[in-house]
Amino acid sequence: MTNPVVKAASYCLFHAPDMVLTHGTTLTMERAKNPDSPLFDEVHQALRSFENVVAYPPNQVYIGNMQPDELAKIPQPWYENPVEPNRKGKLGEIFPMDEFIAMMKIVDAFELVLLEDNFGKQVTERLNGHPLFNEADFAILSKTQSQEEINALLEKNTAVPLEFEGKVVGCVKRAHEYDINLSADVMFENLAGKAGGVLALRHLLWNNNIDPATVDYIIETSEEAAGDMNQRGGGNFAKSIGEKSGCINATGSDTRSFCAGPAHGIVNATGLVKSGIYKNVVVVAGGATAKLGMNSRDHIKKEVPVLEDCMGAFALLIGADDGVNPIIRTDAIGRHKVGTGSSPQAVTTALVTAPLEAAGLTITDVDKFSVEMQNPEITVPAGAGNVPEANYKMIAALGVKQGALERTEINSFVENHGLPGWAPTQGHIPSGVPFMGFARQGLLDGTLNRVMIVGKGSLFLARLTNLFDGVSFIMERNPGKGGDAVVPTEKMVTVGVTLLGSEHGIEEVVRGAELAQRKHKNIRVVAIGPKGSTSLPTVEANTEDEQRSTMENLLKTGEIDACVTMHYNFPLGVTTIGRVIAPATGREMLIASTTGMSAGNRTEAMHKNAILGIAVAKGLGIADPQVGILNVDGALTTERSLRDLEKEGYAISWAASGRADGQAVMRGNDALTGSCDVLVTDSLTGNILVKMLSALNTGGSIESVGYGYGPGVGEGYKQIVNIVSRASGAPVIAGAVEFAADMAKAKLPELVQEELTKAKLIKAQEAGGVQKPPAKPVDQEITGIDVLQIEDATEALWKENIYAEAGMGCTGPVVMVAPEDFEVARKKLVELGFIS
Amino acid sequence: MDLENQTRIKELVEKVGRENVVVILGGAEAEASGLAAETVTTGDPTFAGPLTGVQLELPVYHILELKDIVPEDVWEDQISMMEMVLDVDDIIKEVTTYRTQNGG
Repeated sequence: MTNPVVKAASYCLFHAPDMVLTHGTTLTMERAKNPDSPLFDEVHQALRSFENVVAYPPNQVYIGNMQPDELAKIPQPWYENPVEPNRKGKLGEIFPMDEFIAMMKIVDAFELVLLEDNFGKQVTERLNGHPLFNEADFAILSKTQSQEEINALLEKNTAVPLEFEGKVVGCVKRAHEYDINLSADVMFENLAGKAGGVLALRHLLWNNNIDPATVDYIIETSEEAAGDMNQRGGGNFAKSIGEKSGCINATGSDTRSFCAGPAHGIVNATGLVKSGIYKNVVVVAGGATAKLGMNSRDHIKKEVPVLEDCMGAFALLIGADDGVNPIIRTDAIGRHKVGTGSSPQAVTTALVTAPLEAAGLTITDVDKFSVEMQNPEITVPAGAGNVPEANYKMIAALGVKQGALERTEINSFVENHGLPGWAPTQGHIPSGVPFMGFARQGLLDGTLNRVMIVGKGSLFLARLTNLFDGVSFIMERNPGKGGDAVVPTEKMVTVGVTLLGSEHGIEEVVRGAELAQRKHKNIRVVAIGPKGSTSLPTVEANTEDEQRSTMENLLKTGEIDACVTMHYNFPLGVTTIGRVIAPATGREMLIASTTGMSAGNRTEAMHKNAILGIAVAKGLGIADPQVGILNVDGALTTERSLRDLEKEGYAISWAASGRADGQAVMRGNDALTGSCDVLVTDSLTGNILVKMLSALNTGGSIESVGYGYGPGVGEGYKQIVNIVSRASGAPVIAGAVEFAADMAKAKLPELVQEELTKAKLIKAQEAGGVQKPPAKPVDQEITGIDVLQIEDATEALWKENIYAEAGMGCTGPVVMVAPEDFEVARKKLVELGFIS
Repeated sequence: MDLENQTRIKELVEKVGRENVVVILGGAEAEASGLAAETVTTGDPTFAGPLTGVQLELPVYHILELKDIVPEDVWEDQISMMEMVLDVDDIIKEVTTYRTQNGG
């Protein structure tokens, strides 16, 4: 029998401030009892903007941009300490209200959701190019109604409004005249749940490059009921979500147990996979509109913003053992039994210590416990305390009772084996599962060895039983196919490739990108260029300029880890380290450098190139790279300055020339034999070398061997952009993708920073320097400035409060500014004598 | 306090008389325990439930105050773990406030 493994995880949030007022039960109950209550206005005032929601640290953790441990270090209240606002995360995405309403329309199969004409048009424009939305979705969105038609339905009370920014932009109609199970409010709630589930599942499939057709079974684990008066919880959310996500080979069913639903769903999925009934099982859930603003009354009383303004959703893929992904143990499932009892002690024993005992483990053998991961900033003001912390204390106290811990160790146990809470209070959403994505990563990269996921639920709320419920399971590192030694596992990295610009046409670039995807299963290749050019996932861009800004955006948001492109201007101080195959020996060699400029002065640049080359070599896993200096003008000066640096304690391993003298200065022969790991040269000579060594067999028209001109590296440069030339052929482009992926895995910018610091090339910030104006996108080049003056020219513009960046264009140094600043900047530079 | 529970307490008092009812709380947190104690003595402070404005003045204790009258093995099985976890002093202090205010 196979071991079930966690193959992928995805987490999405949907900002829904208007729904707090229209569909959160705290507010709807208040409206029923007291229609003129001041609470409506108070809540309205205390709602947050989408920007604030995105910058809210717990939300950034939910979508995977920040580790839970990082959250613990941010002082509370977190809503007063915003972080970098990325709506797109490594594990998910935060969607604004209008896009979520659009998804409710897209998932509606019975023409119950009506959108107003203008709103439909606007939201379609916004979603154009979003990778989770397709042409079929846009066709649905194009069917809209007039405001009058919508108002008429609302006046007749046969529909409930869909509001956005306080305006009615659509409605949800009732699905039956008398059946309360199909009333407009119930359909609203169920369609919102379905929409969230679909977005989470689509994200899971897209972000992990999974073919939807490979999903065999879907288990939906929310807390809603879908049905009619004759079968009130008939179902089936699961299959309806699969239908809208392209899972044509899947069936599915819904599993319910209040907040414990997701944990039950995963236990069921592991059983189905372990038995061989299904190979790939998705566990998914959308969010609950009812719980929006649940504690808003208390939040307002305590002057806290209404933090329950987002619905959550998640999707997890449990699959057959691949020898890599973390395993869910099936021999140690914890369960709260009918006879367990409801005291916290009995519950914790059943869910935590009993299964660990069955596996021959104690609580200290588990690196992290994931319990009810509710955000304490929401629960503490509402009098429910810090839920995760209380759970960890209970586990620790039980450990004390059983002799696994000393009483004095309770606090340190909570700190080391616990996590801060970050999930929205959406019942099933925070219940154990929010950590599974981080757990998978940690178990893959070796920072974790074993975690335990615990889900609990309050069955008494349904008034059928007073019982409590819960299940738990253990996730562990995959021991690999051999069964004993842990296989070093490689993290999946995403590399973008821009398609336009090649002298050999777009087809050659596409061939290269697709070749890379075929060769490397641990790399996800994303094309950036015109739609329909390739079967690879594509982010649309129709000009080279558009490609460049799209690439920069994707890198910034972390949607891609690295990118391969051509004809790209790096800021001054950044240069590229090429990688070639020496034709005489087949040895790989780095050429430092091949484009851009690490410094304005030639020997200073070569000195720096050596250090940057060493950093890249280390990123490729060469612990002690052999350095040689190409015999060009300035070689001996560079060698001297590097030997001086060596005396100051910076270790350099020198290569020996293949020529009789065996010196570190390399001749043309050494370039052919690859006598060193890092060949130091000026960037223009390096550029010629790469072209010659890559096009050796083709007569020069097309570069067919090697890895391209390499990643841009330099002080403070955070992106991984690998350069190929307009003459690079498919094999070189594929090589560049591999090279870029290796650099992303090695966290190149950190390596570079470390190496530059060791080599004393990073200066402390100069006090009293010119203040940089706020950064903005720059795409206009001002040429004709002397290379030695390029930094002064940039600073001169800063003094005029014009944001500018120094860069290296294809024809020489450039200062880059925003289009609106171009004329003024040019005039200023003429005035100051930088250009004529 | 949960509205359902308020209803149940109110009905019980009407049925058996307030002199025959003692409330024992099991709340895990001082403020929430205090609110519950207040609800069954001077009335629902949140003005949300059926005990709003109803002064039942029932004797109210937290289970953590009653260790002496609970059999040792039951205490060990059911409560000893939470005793380690909870802020016992704070909870007792909060509940006692309402009992004392109420002259109990």
